[in-house]
Amino acid sequence: MTVLVVAGLVGIAAGGLLSTVAGHLAAGLRLEAAGALAIGLAGFWALAAGDAWGAAFTSDLTPQAGIDGLTGVFLATLALVACPALVFASSYAPRTVSGRITGVLTAGFLLALIGVLCARDALSFLFFWELMTLIPAAIILVGPTTETARHTVFTYVSITHLGGVGTWIALLLLAHEGAIGNSTALTEGSGIQAVIAVAAIIGFGTKAGLMPMHAWLPRAHPIAPAYISALMSGVMVAVAAYGLIRVLVDWLGPSPSWVGATMLVLGALSALGGITYALFQRDLKRLLAYSTVEHLGIVALALGACLLLRRHGADQWASFALGAALFHTVNHAAFKALLFLGAGTFERATGGLELDRLGGLLRRMPWSGGAFLVGALAIAGMPLLNGFASEWLTLQALLRVPAYAGVWEGTLGAITLAALAGTMALAVLCFVKVIGLVLLGPPRRSACAEAVEPPAAMRSALVLLAAACVVLGAVPGLLFSRLSGLAPWADGTDLPVQPGLELPGTGNLPTLWLLVIVSGLTVLLWVARGSRRAAMSPTWASGQLVETPLLWTSAGFTKPLRLVLEAVLRPQREIETTTSGGVVQEVSYAGRVPHLIDVHIYRPVTDGALLVASWARRLQSGRLGVYVAYLISLVLVLLLAVRIGAIG
Amino acid sequence: MTSQSITTGVVQVVGGVAVSPLLIGLTQQAKARLQGRRGAGPLQPYRELRRLWGKSGVDVEGTTLVYRLAPVVVAAAMGAAILLVPAAESAPGLGVGHDALALAGLLALSRLAVCAAAWDTANGFALQGASRDLTLSVFVEAALVLSLAVAALVSGTTDLRGVVAGTSGSHPWTTPALALAAVAFALVVIAETGRQPVDNPDTHLELTMIHEGPVLEFGGRDQALLQWALAARHWVVLVIAAEIFLPHPQGTWWQLALLPVSLALLCGALAVTETLLAKMRILLVPRLIGVGAAVALLGIVTWLVEAL
Repeated sequence: MTVLVVAGLVGIAAGGLLSTVAGHLAAGLRLEAAGALAIGLAGFWALAAGDAWGAAFTSDLTPQAGIDGLTGVFLATLALVACPALVFASSYAPRTVSGRITGVLTAGFLLALIGVLCARDALSFLFFWELMTLIPAAIILVGPTTETARHTVFTYVSITHLGGVGTWIALLLLAHEGAIGNSTALTEGSGIQAVIAVAAIIGFGTKAGLMPMHAWLPRAHPIAPAYISALMSGVMVAVAAYGLIRVLVDWLGPSPSWVGATMLVLGALSALGGITYALFQRDLKRLLAYSTVEHLGIVALALGACLLLRRHGADQWASFALGAALFHTVNHAAFKALLFLGAGTFERATGGLELDRLGGLLRRMPWSGGAFLVGALAIAGMPLLNGFASEWLTLQALLRVPAYAGVWEGTLGAITLAALAGTMALAVLCFVKVIGLVLLGPPRRSACAEAVEPPAAMRSALVLLAAACVVLGAVPGLLFSRLSGLAPWADGTDLPVQPGLELPGTGNLPTLWLLVIVSGLTVLLWVARGSRRAAMSPTWASGQLVETPLLWTSAGFTKPLRLVLEAVLRPQREIETTTSGGVVQEVSYAGRVPHLIDVHIYRPVTDGALLVASWARRLQSGRLGVYVAYLISLVLVLLLAVRIGAIG
Repeated sequence: MTSQSITTGVVQVVGGVAVSPLLIGLTQQAKARLQGRRGAGPLQPYRELRRLWGKSGVDVEGTTLVYRLAPVVVAAAMGAAILLVPAAESAPGLGVGHDALALAGLLALSRLAVCAAAWDTANGFALQGASRDLTLSVFVEAALVLSLAVAALVSGTTDLRGVVAGTSGSHPWTTPALALAAVAFALVVIAETGRQPVDNPDTHLELTMIHEGPVLEFGGRDQALLQWALAARHWVVLVIAAEIFLPHPQGTWWQLALLPVSLALLCGALAVTETLLAKMRILLVPRLIGVGAAVALLGIVTWLVEAL
């Protein structure tokens, strides 16, 4: 294991350095990919064999590093995303100075992510945590920057640093209480436990993009290059989930009900809100970023169920819920990376990602289009693929909350169960739209009609990730039995290892059989239908011609939902009609769905902050005399305070 | 394998594959009679299927494999759902398990396949139906999962065989939660089978269609597969309604004996609703089904309070 870890770290670092040398960018990125693979193997080893490497957690402030099962899951996830993403990048990244700098920054980003996961003390954790936050900002700024990009980076850095304070408070308090790596140090229901829980939820929740702390995520993820978006959406948010799991599930010890209930509420809000706003995006990458909010919401739902079930003594179900959260993180990393890389491919092939101006790419790009289709089906929660397996587990876990918890938590569990069911249906709506607008139908721009497959490196990265989605969906039980055994309270008896998902005392999901039977029936019926087809005919459309300007748009497809949710979403529409001489000359229409959390929470806060800042600015007049007056008055106030005995 | 489970398996497969079109036929016939028409007889769906199977499918220009696969995938998903939904408590394991939540996934798969095909043909009317169907499905799925959750909580498992056993006998009378869930599930049945007041199965006016919209571009054997899948969908949701939410006796033999009676009653009930109620405004449907979901939620609260 030591060999793998050292080889991996050296590989990533050397690859980063190599990529700065002109002409060796591709080789450098591939070396980084190999290094990430070695690290991932080490993590997988730690997970599968169950043996830890390096130091254990310590509340001291001396730097320590180590790998245990939970770290292993996330290291393996990192490799699952990073290897294809870097192979993709080796062909995708521009061979310019900024491309080369991005290459070395990517290596730094990977090392920072690995550092957070392997840190075994508060200090190195926080060091790598900050590094992990700052490097993506640098990567975005190295690329071609616009005014909006710079503003986005500012938003990203400010929100994640404001939220990041929570991480610092939580980690330092945990270290102070000696609770890092020791789940018995905090007493249940104590004030310090509550403070740590709130700080951790804010700190890690901001990084994970949980609503309402998510505002930076849909802005920052899309503007990075595709492979960095994949790393950010696939791995960086997963690392935030790692932090949440470490603190809430492990170090906090048994926590009061409100911690689990808060996670359920935040999870349901993020899941429903994330997918709803994803539906109304016009840009593919931005849509994908909103869907990241949704999926981290699902992870939070599983964690909330885990905490509540643990609280009510259902330890076995709590460990299943934890397994569901971990498994969904892995699955999300796989299909989100696939979709972001696919988006990068399409952007390169057609020159834009506006949803209403793509179309017909499956025919032009069967390999990358097909892989993207698999990813979209997986993210939409179709049975047979990996997304459904972990969402099924989460549904099962949420269903146990009413079964074990009291009336209030039980009702909350039932509401979140319905919210998750609704989220899954919304995801179908959203990704049917994506599949339709991007892959199917007639091309909506000439560039789409002439798109060609990307080079083999990019294509193979996409196909690899699509295969991962299929395999994780076919045999989820092999991984899940280990994941649910990672719970700190697990007694070492894992579930029996089998391909499907079988939980004791409830229905089971025989994924492999389901795959065999559904695809078998598909083949059977395909053969039964025979090959006799009438001559090709144009779309009938009840006798209308299907013309490109009249094709259905993203806004059209989501219009019924927009109308149904009008009271909640408050969509805005403006219709301007120009008439002259009683004849309508021109009608212009603009409709948009404003982001309510931005408008009602963030805007008042930023406006208030700017107002306070403008008052504070009056203090800074720049004249020397005024500053001397400040000093004298301060001294006078202090002397006065001493005189009346307030201080000293 | 006992004789009970073998018989149940046979009933399930034969019923789902071959008897399911009869459910549509019976409903249509009962509706015709209620409306004072003579009707085409309950066997009409079989004639339709035979006629359609005799014709070849038409490929739409510019479509991909997605369009070709859609009818087959829809029928395959419904075939798996037939294997999944038990006709009585001792149904045999037919590979796909018996999980209630997996059933929701299969229904979603068939919906996605047909809506993706609508995008492939770029037919505006098909897309209109698809977008309406998917919008309604958000609420339908919440109501479906909540009503099945009530049944699962009452019987302690999501395995539908266990649910059938756990809700049998006097349970529907003594457990108010189940009655509330039954109300929600009734709305789910109407929505999933595409019947009034949610959708009008007889309409062929493009602007009013929901379920009929996305299948507009299919003909011949493709259309036959889709029609059969619709019949199978009737079978799946009506069997669940009969074996879980309607009162049903304990013991496999009694359950199997009562199943035809319950199914006939449910078909009659569908015909009566279709006759009495006009189609709702499409934007009011989510409200109706949302109320259904709330009723099911109330069922869970009732169960929680009762369990105190």
